[in-house]
Amino acid sequence: MIKIKNLTKSFTTKTRKGFKKEIVTVNAVNEVSFECKPGRIFSLLGPNGAGKTTALRMIAGIISPTSGTAIVDNIDISQGNDEVKKRIGFLTGSTGLYERLNPDETIDFFGKLYRIPPSKLNERKEYLFEKLGINEFRKKRVGQMSTGMKQKVSIARTLIHDPEVLIFDEPTSGLDVITADSIIDLIRESKENNKTVIFSSHIMSEVDLLCDDLAIINKGSIIYNDTFESFKNEMKAKNLTQEFINRVKEA
Amino acid sequence: MRDLFIIIKKELTELLRDKKTIINSIVLPTLLVPILMFGAIKVAQMIAENEQQKSVKIGLVNAPEDFRKLVVSDTLNEITSYTESIDFKTLIDDETIQTAIIFPIDWKTRMDSMTTSEIQIYRNGTKDNVNGRVSIMMEKYNALLKKKRIAQLQISTERLTPFRENYIEVGEQKELIGKRVGGFIPYLFIITMWGGCLLAGIDLVTGEKERKTIETTLSLPISKFTVLFGKAVVASLLGFIPAVLNLIGLIVGLKFIDGIPDTFKMAINEMLNFQSITLILLLLIPFSLFLAGLIIALVASATTFKEAQSKATPIIMLIIIPLILAMMPGIELTWATVFVPVLNIGLGVKEIMAGTIDMTQYAAILISLILFSIGAIYISYKKFSDENAILK
Repeated sequence: MIKIKNLTKSFTTKTRKGFKKEIVTVNAVNEVSFECKPGRIFSLLGPNGAGKTTALRMIAGIISPTSGTAIVDNIDISQGNDEVKKRIGFLTGSTGLYERLNPDETIDFFGKLYRIPPSKLNERKEYLFEKLGINEFRKKRVGQMSTGMKQKVSIARTLIHDPEVLIFDEPTSGLDVITADSIIDLIRESKENNKTVIFSSHIMSEVDLLCDDLAIINKGSIIYNDTFESFKNEMKAKNLTQEFINRVKEA
Repeated sequence: MRDLFIIIKKELTELLRDKKTIINSIVLPTLLVPILMFGAIKVAQMIAENEQQKSVKIGLVNAPEDFRKLVVSDTLNEITSYTESIDFKTLIDDETIQTAIIFPIDWKTRMDSMTTSEIQIYRNGTKDNVNGRVSIMMEKYNALLKKKRIAQLQISTERLTPFRENYIEVGEQKELIGKRVGGFIPYLFIITMWGGCLLAGIDLVTGEKERKTIETTLSLPISKFTVLFGKAVVASLLGFIPAVLNLIGLIVGLKFIDGIPDTFKMAINEMLNFQSITLILLLLIPFSLFLAGLIIALVASATTFKEAQSKATPIIMLIIIPLILAMMPGIELTWATVFVPVLNIGLGVKEIMAGTIDMTQYAAILISLILFSIGAIYISYKKFSDENAILK
């Protein structure tokens, strides 16, 4: 379960104009509130620069909010980032893999830091490697892998500690349909296992396929937050993409 | 602590799988000193041999026969005689001759009357080989004439020699050489250490940003301090190891390279004993951590390798200047210099090698370096925790 209330993140930038110092504060995320329930997939949609990644980074404990609260699996992120991080699997376009390690070493590194007992770590690793088809390249260095291979390893790294909360930001971006399908399958499986899933994508067909609840963020604020069913019922445009564009433009 | 070791292991594995790191941190430092020593000795030998075989074109005016004989005795000298003083500057400039020695017309009269005469020598101050050989020749001729005059005046040599200087060296050869070359050794390995720390520091912080893995690392359930400290320890190791390899290279080079004077070899071997090496390495541990912390603080906000390099590289001046000061003869390790970073390590190593280190001052250097390294790690932690800088 994730409960977000009035979450705000401000960034301050200092610029020098001659001898004058100019301080500009921008709210990347402005009083955002939403709730993600276990066993449901919550889609957070928004155009580039809307504040999606900043909001997800705050939930994952990577950056601290300026104000507001975020409760992840009953832990307030302000109480202890590390405890929240143990309960989250975080995958975005900017969570790359260590290029000079191979998948085996990568997963062992994460597993050890998540303090998974060795036998359980091995069992979970073998399960994920089998499920994602990583076995054939498990000893190959990440730097020598294709985008699809890397994304599979990233998914395995995200799921290795079997987290209660999963955050996927563009998990299928740039992947072939077969790889994308195996990832979609894993996200569905997480939902069936009663995990809380935040899924963000620009591919509307995937949103349509997975989404239970939906929020649209634009210029740092939430402009829509309801079930996906309600969203579809309220649709005025012919398709999801057009409806999303219209809503962002109207906001 | 467990998490820190996991981070260190992973960072080391990653770095040591990079060819660039292996070459810069292991291969080059090991081979650098022996190659430098071997190269310097060979080049010096070649230059000396070359210079000795070069002929010197000498222009002579009014030269007496005994002087002419002296010049001819060196078969490499080429003589051109001139009857009068002409524009020798032009002749030297267009390399017709390399030097001109002009005796006055009344030379013989003056010599017979045992008065002082003057010989004019035209020369180009930049031609060390020519000038050196001419100087030796003039000294020889002067000594020859003096001897003749003494014989003529029937004065015993003893009368003209009121005293002889007899220097008795009380300082050990080790102390003497240690003070003279001891400053050069920290210069060598601190620069290598800086290079190692710089490359590793940039790779571990800016490199992670470039490879888009910094967010992955920050998503781990460990404190930012553990991540930062792990990186700093690895960067300092990658600075410390090349410095140690530098020392090993120096010891091996001294053992196996020919052409190094035996007294020098013996003195350096005596200097680099177990005790002095331990004392030097003990200083290098906090110093490498200080450098790593400083570099990470500098590059934390850089987004590219190039930007990181341009931010950190100018700091090398703050390392080179104190090290050059430490090499200067007048600058000694005192209570004023003991707390100046880099300078203290340069002077400290010099004293350690000379065997004259004051252990209280050594302890002060060590403590000050530990404090400086704590300060640098704290600053780098602050920079590393700055979300604006690290997730840029």
